[in-house]
Amino acid sequence: MIAFDISNSSDGIKDKLITCLKTVIDPELFINIVDLGLVYAVKFDGKKMLISVQMTLSSKFCPMGDSIIIATKNSLERDFNNFKAEVNVVWEPEWNYKFISPEGLKILGE
Amino acid sequence: MNSSKHQRSLYKIVIAHYSIGAVFFLILSIMFFFSIEVMSGHYFQPMLLALTHTAALGWGTMVIFGALNQLLPVILEKELFSIRMGWWSLLFLVPGIILLVYSFWVFEPGLYMQIGSVLILIGVFLFVLNVLFTITKGKQASSVFAEFILTSCLWLFLTISLGVLMVFNFQYPFLPKEHLQFLRLHAQMGISGWFLLLIIGVSAKLIPMFLLSSYQKTNLLTVSYYLINGALIAFLIDGYLHGLNFNTYFILGLGTSGIGFYFAFLYQCIISRIRKGIDKPMVQSLSSFILLGIGILVLPVILYYHIQNDAYAVQLSVLYGTFIFMGWVSTLILGQTFKTLPYIIWVKHYEQLTGKFKIPLPADLINNRLLSVQLIAFFIFLVSFLVGFLLRISALKYLGAVSLIMCSTSYCLHVFLLLIHKTRTEKYDRI
Repeated sequence: MIAFDISNSSDGIKDKLITCLKTVIDPELFINIVDLGLVYAVKFDGKKMLISVQMTLSSKFCPMGDSIIIATKNSLERDFNNFKAEVNVVWEPEWNYKFISPEGLKILGE
Repeated sequence: MNSSKHQRSLYKIVIAHYSIGAVFFLILSIMFFFSIEVMSGHYFQPMLLALTHTAALGWGTMVIFGALNQLLPVILEKELFSIRMGWWSLLFLVPGIILLVYSFWVFEPGLYMQIGSVLILIGVFLFVLNVLFTITKGKQASSVFAEFILTSCLWLFLTISLGVLMVFNFQYPFLPKEHLQFLRLHAQMGISGWFLLLIIGVSAKLIPMFLLSSYQKTNLLTVSYYLINGALIAFLIDGYLHGLNFNTYFILGLGTSGIGFYFAFLYQCIISRIRKGIDKPMVQSLSSFILLGIGILVLPVILYYHIQNDAYAVQLSVLYGTFIFMGWVSTLILGQTFKTLPYIIWVKHYEQLTGKFKIPLPADLINNRLLSVQLIAFFIFLVSFLVGFLLRISALKYLGAVSLIMCSTSYCLHVFLLLIHKTRTEKYDRI
């Protein structure tokens, strides 16, 4: 479950943030980072024009780790004009398969 | 070194190993074609020695070294100690393998063979040092995966060291026992000590990651580690003192049960996996273990005929070698190449573009047609060569050899196409 902190903004931002983050796909599992449970918190500051994402990776030395972080930042800056995005990677709580959403599990089970 | 510079350096060294390995695979398949007839004879034969060393060093070890440069940080969760050391290792290894293989092929056990073997030893020593320093740096606790990998590297070093002694023994006989006895120990150290332990260590970490297995216990692996190493040490001592004898059955049982524990671990990972769909390269990698299993089944039969002093043991040894190198190791490498290489290429081309543009996924870089040709040709090779070998039908053996050339050609072409991949992007608003 993502913790949202949204200030100085219009309605629908939360949905737009989720839609945007869902375009970032883990290239090995073919699941987006939201359903994979990698995103822990999103802070949207309309005044500072800044979006901060707190997320994790499935393993510390994941070969695609940098790509996923860059994709997250690029996607937010692509969909939110003139906003800056920053991504903070955290290792607590440590990610495990129980973080995957029911939608994600459905894709993996196919 | 910053992250992107480090990635670029890593990319170059991994690609260099994969490319050289692919060329050696092509050479190996051509050598295989010209060695078909001698395979019916004794395995201690110049062309077969050249063939085995091309397979074990130029193909198997070369690709594994490349993959380890990429995968060690993932498995051990720490940066590689030195990429430069990897380059030095490669610099000694390649001319060493060429000299050794050439000298075996024409059988000139003189200076070139000796220089070749020493160059390989230096190359391997540098690689092993790099792995050792990578594992021991930092304060993280050691894992069973790291123990498998480090032990396998030490066995590799011992295998090559004994190999060097045997090369010098050709010209200056000094070894206390006959050459064939040492050849058996050398081969078994390489197969069980290097390839088996390394493949178990790497796959035990990566397969659960790829399959998203909920099985996290490592007890089965620990038991497997001690059984395989115990069996190998027992085989070396008993084999040196008494050669192959009735005790070898027990040692074989010990080692096989070690592999059994590893298979039990794999089974637990597979049944507890969350990801149900398995891609083609992964299916091929997993199926390689069936060939390992068949190879192991041949061992007690070899032993039986050897104890009976029946020459059939020699022929079966060639069959065992084919199952191990051309079956298990090659199948695994063929599968894993197209599991890892597309990611390495993808990171280089798309890492900075991802999220900005619509781009292909790493799996989209694979040429499925070439992959299918490679898989079918390899399957035909295995079936026709092995049936031809067992039933002594030359036409089938040659069909197998030609299929292997087709497989290696498509593999090389596929690797080459990946290397020359051009970046493809589309704007997001066109989706």
